Amino acid sequence: MRKLVISTVLALLCAVPASAQKINLDFPGLADRAEEVVDITLDASMLRMAAKFFSNKNADERALREMIGGLEGIYVRSYEFAKEGEYDRALVDRIKTQLGASWKPLVTVRSKKRENVNIYANMVGEKVTGLVIISAEPREFTVVNINGPIDIERLSELEGQFGIPEFSSKEGKRHD
Amino acid sequence: MNLENDLKRALRRESPPPGFAGRVMQRIEHGEVQRTRPAWWRAAAASVALAALLGGYTAHRVVEQRRGEQAKEQVLEAMRIASEKMRYAQEEARSIGSHD
Repeated sequence: MRKLVISTVLALLCAVPASAQKINLDFPGLADRAEEVVDITLDASMLRMAAKFFSNKNADERALREMIGGLEGIYVRSYEFAKEGEYDRALVDRIKTQLGASWKPLVTVRSKKRENVNIYANMVGEKVTGLVIISAEPREFTVVNINGPIDIERLSELEGQFGIPEFSSKEGKRHD
Repeated sequence: MNLENDLKRALRRESPPPGFAGRVMQRIEHGEVQRTRPAWWRAAAASVALAALLGGYTAHRVVEQRRGEQAKEQVLEAMRIASEKMRYAQEEARSIGSHD
């Protein structure tokens, strides 16, 4: 009985920081104003299901399967607008304020002509246990929230694989 | 001895109550007597049940397959977006570093 109580308390203690990683990505009315919307919500069970559909024979797919295997969720909201000024830039701050003390800024890019990108990592010791990417362009607003242990280097190396287009800042953004 | 008497008493011949045969015949005429179904009927019922079971399982598998493939596509799309933003930030950080 005592063991059960201790394990329940430990499970609850672990569950609180895990759930705290999920960011509120509800932006009421934004989708209505956007020309194109990408709304992806993949919880742990959906990720487990998706992982089964990545081939074990293909090395790239195997690597991606391993990457998503330990994740608790992937959430993406991306809005593309017909003209500039269709969304409130304060949305960026609204997301930042949700990030607790364990979230550290990794990269901040500010550009007058192109996109501003903020990347935050939820650090537990040396490990990255969550990632938030906020990209604010004049006509596009994108937020990506990845919950769970993630290899950032591996993530950025995914370009050029699985139909993910190669990207170079010198060439500018490539639209499909 | 008691056992023998008990058995005799229990197994003694008894006449049916008056009108019993008439009532039985009447029920037969009205079709109330349960007829045993032929063997082919049972085989057909089992086949239908099996087909329904297999059909349900196949439909479930198809739905699961579709959901799994959709989830995979969503993972790839999410990773494409995340990777693109990450790479852009890295390239920008590198280019600033190379100017310094």
